[in-house]
Amino acid sequence: MPAVDSRETVIEVEGIVTRFGANAVHDGVSFSVERGTLVALIGGSGTGKSVLLREIIGLHRPTEGVVRVLGTDMWRAPAEQVAAVRRRFGMTFQDGALFSSLTVAQNVAVPLAEHTSIEPRMREHLVRLRLAQAGLPADAGAKMPSELSGGMRKRAALARALALEPEILFLDEPTSGLDPTTARAFDALVRSLVDNLGITVFLVTHDLDTLLTVVDRLIVLAGGKVLADGPPREIARLDDAWIRSYFAIRTMVGASPDSSDGS
Amino acid sequence: MPPPADDHLAVSGDGRQMSLAGEWRLPKLPALASALAAARPGSPLTVDGERLISLDSAAALELIRALDAAGLDADSVSWQGFSPPHRRVLDDVLRRRASLAEAVPPKQSRWLAEIGRHALVIYRQGLDHLSFMGETLTAFLELLVAPRRLRLRELTTQLEQACLNAIPVVVLVTLLIGVVFAYLLGLQAEQYGANIFVVDGVGIGMSREFAPIIVAVIIAGRSGAAFTAQLGSMRLTEEIDAIRTLGLSPMQVLVVPRVLALLIALPLLSFIGLVSGLVGAALVADAMLGIPPVSFAERLHDALDITHVWAGLIKTPVFALAISVIACRLGMHVGRDTRAVGLATTSTVVQSIVNVILLDAAFAVLFQELGI
Repeated sequence: MPAVDSRETVIEVEGIVTRFGANAVHDGVSFSVERGTLVALIGGSGTGKSVLLREIIGLHRPTEGVVRVLGTDMWRAPAEQVAAVRRRFGMTFQDGALFSSLTVAQNVAVPLAEHTSIEPRMREHLVRLRLAQAGLPADAGAKMPSELSGGMRKRAALARALALEPEILFLDEPTSGLDPTTARAFDALVRSLVDNLGITVFLVTHDLDTLLTVVDRLIVLAGGKVLADGPPREIARLDDAWIRSYFAIRTMVGASPDSSDGS
Repeated sequence: MPPPADDHLAVSGDGRQMSLAGEWRLPKLPALASALAAARPGSPLTVDGERLISLDSAAALELIRALDAAGLDADSVSWQGFSPPHRRVLDDVLRRRASLAEAVPPKQSRWLAEIGRHALVIYRQGLDHLSFMGETLTAFLELLVAPRRLRLRELTTQLEQACLNAIPVVVLVTLLIGVVFAYLLGLQAEQYGANIFVVDGVGIGMSREFAPIIVAVIIAGRSGAAFTAQLGSMRLTEEIDAIRTLGLSPMQVLVVPRVLALLIALPLLSFIGLVSGLVGAALVADAMLGIPPVSFAERLHDALDITHVWAGLIKTPVFALAISVIACRLGMHVGRDTRAVGLATTSTVVQSIVNVILLDAAFAVLFQELGI
């Protein structure tokens, strides 16, 4: 557990090359993520952030390179081993990807019913705990996904991803399409998962506020390589045209009160 | 030294000292639950977590629930020796305990209410179909005033898909129906030496009923389902809203070309089906009843009055209107999730076929009264 070995590496990406036809998206991407940290991956449109995420979780095969999640090579290990690792991480997709024929509670119960032998009554309690952990009111469980607002949908997806108490959570643009208040609440929620439950979170985002408030470490993808890697505030000070323009918006707005805190 | 993996829980003799050990994680939950069920905790209780290797929120929840079940309030328990990360997990669950109250089970509706609800749904749906039919007709009237609004390209695309591409399956199915129909009639007619009357039967049957109905059912399954699925996904991706926002009318852009395409396609396909059914019948007549194709054609010419053909064909535009209006309306008004598209598509096929048969029955009564 975290206290014993907080420096343990849980995600390892080595020399990833991805080509779509003649078009090389990644040209040797390498980084690693330690347990109990909140890491964000950023990059301009078309730099292959989502593709990289899909490669890490084993949905898209990289042309070259190695991906290790919790010590298992996602593309070379036997299928049962990969399936076992899949039960130890959770993923939320951009639009939630909730099963539209099931209620929210049933959605959350799917992984529990599939992968554990917990009796139904206990499962119900656990589902309610997951809904509460994802910040959903208890009555949301009986709703259908189509009845939920965008923010609730994301929370429901998070509750489903949390179902098996994962060690790692992958979030694809968790705050996209949310209003700033809801987005900040979601950020705080994700942060509390890291702090209270010791979950490692790896997210792809464009949300500068997420990056500058809750993220421990930033990995910048550009030109098919890792352009920068480090704490957000250090990255924001780097002298690179793309990074400068990326954070420029923040500095413009940041003429207001909190500009003194270093950005 | 780590304790054995199955030794999760030790309770002192008086039950006031409970000591947790090993991995308290979700995969171990069944074992933990049975260990907790066997324990008889006493009050005041001290829970010691020093020998825990891991603790996750699922296991913490199970522990707190077991204490609750034993009548112990988690707040009065003294928690000892938990490492900071374990303590945080525990606190997280303790904090949420209040919000985990039992959800109210959804109200069970009774069967009588259920029947009433369904009847209302069908009634409203009928009204909606009628009103959509009105909207469609208004859109056609607009076309009469301004014919240039007709989307010719969309119309030809739809015609290709609904008419041209449907010819093979229509020919195949009606040919086989013709074969089977002629064979069955032939079996009976042969007994009376009335072989030649098979031509009368097949001719009238195919032209009045079989060709229009079979083709309408095929098109309901083929084009009707396609219309609903297309328009339904367009609604999901907000394309229909985009069309509206651009100042265009979805009725003119999407619905009118589809309805018009079916209005043109169904009579044509029905005629093709009639011919192909007669060809099928002629094959059987030649092989089984000794009626050569030439005699078949001659007898057909004498026996099949052209009014029968018209009586069959006149129904097809009405069928086409029913199918396309149902398909387009269900597609345009689909709920905003993927499941709704599937349900609407199924509904289109069922409703179109039922409506085609109902309309056909109405026509039969009408023709009877008119003496056609």
